[in-house]
Amino acid sequence: MPRLCRSTRRAMGLLALTVCPLLPAAARASASDTPPALQAGACSVRGLMDDIRRGLHSGSASYQRYLRTLLREAAVTLPDAELRDAFSRETDPVMAEHLAAALVARSEREADLQAMDVVAQRALQDADPAIRAATLRAMRRTSALERTGDLYERMVRDDSPLVRQEAATNLIEDNARVYAGQYGPAADTAVAAAAASTDPAVTARILDNLSTEKVSAESTGRLVSLLRSDDANVRKAAVNALGGVPAEQMQGARESLLAMYREEKDANVRKALLQSVAQLGFQGAIPDLQRLRAMDPRLASEADAWIQVLGSGLQEWSLLLREKQRLQQAP
Amino acid sequence: MRSTLKTSLAALAALALIPASAAAHTVKGTHTGSVTALTYYSSGTFHGAVDIGAGGRCNYWGAETGVVGSVYWAVTIRTSGVVCNGNGSGNQNEARHAWQSGWTFRQWHFIKTADSRNRTCDRCQVGNIGGTGNSTGPHAHLQQDKLGTKNTSWYKGYVSVGSAVTRAKTIGVLD
Repeated sequence: MPRLCRSTRRAMGLLALTVCPLLPAAARASASDTPPALQAGACSVRGLMDDIRRGLHSGSASYQRYLRTLLREAAVTLPDAELRDAFSRETDPVMAEHLAAALVARSEREADLQAMDVVAQRALQDADPAIRAATLRAMRRTSALERTGDLYERMVRDDSPLVRQEAATNLIEDNARVYAGQYGPAADTAVAAAAASTDPAVTARILDNLSTEKVSAESTGRLVSLLRSDDANVRKAAVNALGGVPAEQMQGARESLLAMYREEKDANVRKALLQSVAQLGFQGAIPDLQRLRAMDPRLASEADAWIQVLGSGLQEWSLLLREKQRLQQAP
Repeated sequence: MRSTLKTSLAALAALALIPASAAAHTVKGTHTGSVTALTYYSSGTFHGAVDIGAGGRCNYWGAETGVVGSVYWAVTIRTSGVVCNGNGSGNQNEARHAWQSGWTFRQWHFIKTADSRNRTCDRCQVGNIGGTGNSTGPHAHLQQDKLGTKNTSWYKGYVSVGSAVTRAKTIGVLD
């Protein structure tokens, strides 16, 4: 433990030296002549927290990020009981987030698999919305989607809009950064949370930013039911999400979208419908798009653009999107 | 003068610890050993990855995933037994993470243990260091590839052949 602390302090000393170019020349000279004295000390949660509290006053976001990383890396060797105790007593959201991140790091490094449960419980039960939001941030880009049961379905119904949005951010970033959109259960958790949310802005944001290429049939069913939402943004996001479902669910999704087009009044939702129909069918969607074109003269040019792009024979969705954008930008 | 030089070098070293972007992932050593091959083998044949030898110790070190930060690891077991010196190309055990960019990071050759399973973690053990697959001795092979092309830039400037490796040692940075 003392070795860790000495190396920690040495690393902090090195980092402090990097700000030397910002100092006047005279100050630089004296600093370089006398290297910082290293002092051994007992490593503790309290000591690291004191360092972080001092760091918060530095005004440097990089330095604060560095201290946060330092605490996360040291978390594996910190005494578990002391860490949990400090977390449960902390009422400052910023410090609670740091301590929660340390507990989550212990879980992610497999030093203490139950540590994340403590953080999840506080996210659910703390009376202060700022603490609930902070603990949610601490679980971002981790395995929390797999380990916390129905936490996110409950957090997206939180009384605080801030907490609901933090939960949405976790669902989006975890799916994208931890699972690269390739892990069905994580995408299913996000769809379930989006469907459970009572906040249309949260539902729309999750679905607009989620890769659905590995979702289950059950999730596709939830997305189809969201097509009947009263909120146009939710309907549009559900349409976007259905455009990317796995091959075995494409046929059902396509039929739902085509049926919806006849009843839909909102032009933006109809525009999204055209795109998702194109995404689900590629060249095979051209006859459907030609039928839909006749239904709404406002979107004739949009349907024509899709028909032209799909007729080009490009085989990658990203290339089709780019080609359509290029066509519509041309004079 | 000497002190000034040391200070400058220390400052530069500290700067090197700061990731280039928030999305970057540092890769640390998978076990204690040394780098035995990088872009080219000593024979001149292309390799395009980092090999970390284990000093001949087989089934001794835990094979830890090297990527710093929580990511999902898909573990493929092609060889169930203890193999230290190779059992043919394509038979290597593998832990891999596919990035959103389409690149895939792979770790090869470890021996299957109870820890060899798919999961999301930050530097967890997926087996023991061994020599399954195309191997002449126990080592870890760390590779980043996309559509058959290997990225050889992620470890440049961080390690060279012969570099001592521990789990605290930075092997490279993926972004």
